[in-house]
Amino acid sequence: MTEPKSRMLDLGAGRPRLEIQEAGSGPPLFFLHGAGGVAWDGALGQLAKHFHVYAPSLPGFGKSPSEGLELIEDALELWQLGFDVMEALGLEKPLLVGESFGGWIAAEMAALRPKEVGKLALLAPVGVWRDDSPVVDLFGLTIGELLPFLFHDMKSKAALDMSQLTTLMSDKDDRTQAQIDQLIGIFLGFRTAAKFLFPVPDTGLERRLWRIRVPTLVLWGAQDRLIAPSYAELIAKRVKNAQVVLIERCGHLLMAEQPEASAKEIQRFAGV
Amino acid sequence: MKFTWFHLMPYRWLPADFRERYHSVWVDLPNGIYDPEKGHDLYNEYLDMLEYAEQCGFDAIAVNEHHQNAYGMMPSPNIMAATLARRTSKAMLLVLGNSIVCYNPPTRIAEEFAMLDVISGGRLIAGFPVGTSMDINYCAGQNPATVRDKYREGHDLIVKAWQTREPFAFNGKYTKLRYVNLWPRPIQQPHPPVWIPGLGSIETWDFCAEHDYNYSYLSFSGYKRARNMMNGYWERRAALGADDNPHSAAFFQQVCISDTDAECEKQWWPHVDYFFNKCLHLYPGTSEAPGYRSEASLRAGIVAQFGNTTQNMGIDKTWKQLVNEGYILAGSAETVRQQIEELGKTLRVGHVLLGCQIGSAPAELVNHATKLAGDQILPKLRHLYSDYEDRWWPKALPASRRAKAGAHIPVSAGAPR
Repeated sequence: MTEPKSRMLDLGAGRPRLEIQEAGSGPPLFFLHGAGGVAWDGALGQLAKHFHVYAPSLPGFGKSPSEGLELIEDALELWQLGFDVMEALGLEKPLLVGESFGGWIAAEMAALRPKEVGKLALLAPVGVWRDDSPVVDLFGLTIGELLPFLFHDMKSKAALDMSQLTTLMSDKDDRTQAQIDQLIGIFLGFRTAAKFLFPVPDTGLERRLWRIRVPTLVLWGAQDRLIAPSYAELIAKRVKNAQVVLIERCGHLLMAEQPEASAKEIQRFAGV
Repeated sequence: MKFTWFHLMPYRWLPADFRERYHSVWVDLPNGIYDPEKGHDLYNEYLDMLEYAEQCGFDAIAVNEHHQNAYGMMPSPNIMAATLARRTSKAMLLVLGNSIVCYNPPTRIAEEFAMLDVISGGRLIAGFPVGTSMDINYCAGQNPATVRDKYREGHDLIVKAWQTREPFAFNGKYTKLRYVNLWPRPIQQPHPPVWIPGLGSIETWDFCAEHDYNYSYLSFSGYKRARNMMNGYWERRAALGADDNPHSAAFFQQVCISDTDAECEKQWWPHVDYFFNKCLHLYPGTSEAPGYRSEASLRAGIVAQFGNTTQNMGIDKTWKQLVNEGYILAGSAETVRQQIEELGKTLRVGHVLLGCQIGSAPAELVNHATKLAGDQILPKLRHLYSDYEDRWWPKALPASRRAKAGAHIPVSAGAPR
């Protein structure tokens, strides 16, 4: 993979300023990140070998100023922002891929303007809720306790890498400035996710799923403990043209825990 | 200096192995361990303590709001204040306060505070906390990313509703009301004094200065640790061009008062231990929802600028440490008086909110402490800052124009009074 390029996208006065990262060449892939932000060391880097990947960071994530969140009043404006970015990047009918929090946004975008999306890949999206299978509270756990809900194998490289974050949570004041910034970054990203998902991540998406007409891949980790894999069928049943693929030995963070398998499924689905 | 007797109303019957068995005193502590019949006794015992504080000469009695919390059993402080309004007549009623964002529409708070002010003859001090993240986000489900904006809007609506004499339309982002027209409206004009409890965020200081509200620093870690923070408060006020009137600030301090220094530890330690080691047992995963604090406050908190991070809560400290470090002021009335004087002078606060009941402390012990305070502490410290005008104190009706509770119950009916 070539090194991703980063730039700031200016959408005009009164609009949030967003970081856009781009890598690779090929058909356009528009990626919407989860509550952890954009990371290239997982499946995204793999996808950049076959696609031209465009990955915006929402306010509070990456280099996108968190103040931009105040300029997104509600969920509708968030989905519209997705299209504004696509338009500014000159993307027409891209493959729209979203993971978790971003998967919800991607699904809503496809329901809102079905003609402007090429294909849709939803990776363990949030947004749907069943009382008998509650989604784990992303905002009510310490980082250390949240991790086992995100990974199938806590000894996987991705899980061990992320476990490093727990060392930042100590009560001691011995953090470096870079560590403080990293910690603040996590809070600010979660704040953005919380604006749309707190306290119960039932966004009403289920009522709108029937509007999605584009070919849709619903990809889920077979051992997802944050959002049970049973949600995959539930969503796919309501989307006209959807296929479900479960990835084995995989928790919620598909792209981090099973990068090759997730990228391969997306590639196969896209026919690239 | 004025003295307020402040109750948290902790549940007294948490099991001995509470910390091992439960991960928090707040938010998700199963209510199966709450015994309503014991709760019945506790409420009445605690309200008696507050009423007795008036008899002992306290200037005000105070209640506050917490939810799903075993150390603060007042989800509705207004209900507590309503009982006190009827059973007291001299003390001011400090409700510190109502979490604006939890009530829809916020005019409910304007109404209830107006009711309390009218029932009590203008004795109300109206508190408006943003609310802890446990209360407003995790218990009340309010969105952390928008909660401060919603707070400011709700505040504006309440204060406008109190002062406007004609119906008006309110077109807010979070509340839209075609006809705002408060019945009843408060006795105090233009409205009851407003106090804002906080934990040291600069935004709150600015808000208080902007509206000329009292800032009440509610800390469990005592006056010695609060010095930097309160210095910051006074510096900020000066920078904003506000005066240095000590009555613009209040400070909460827990005290353990006995007849002599020698017997204090023996009498109070079990209750102090109960408070710091059970009541402050909190789960960090639900202590702060993302977005509850601004980025600036977050940075200040992370580098522990004001020394108020969780490790300073007082858990696992000995009696000696808690006393030496000022978490509690303990000893004879004279010993405690000296420390309160130092508190008042070093923090420059005109209002002291005394936590005279702590943890599991029972009525007999607490009432005795209240009496000692009333006899031997309050009279000796009232002069402090008395030359400053207190713009943050209720303007109650004169006694001659006050209704008497029970006055209309026919004597022959066997009225309890």
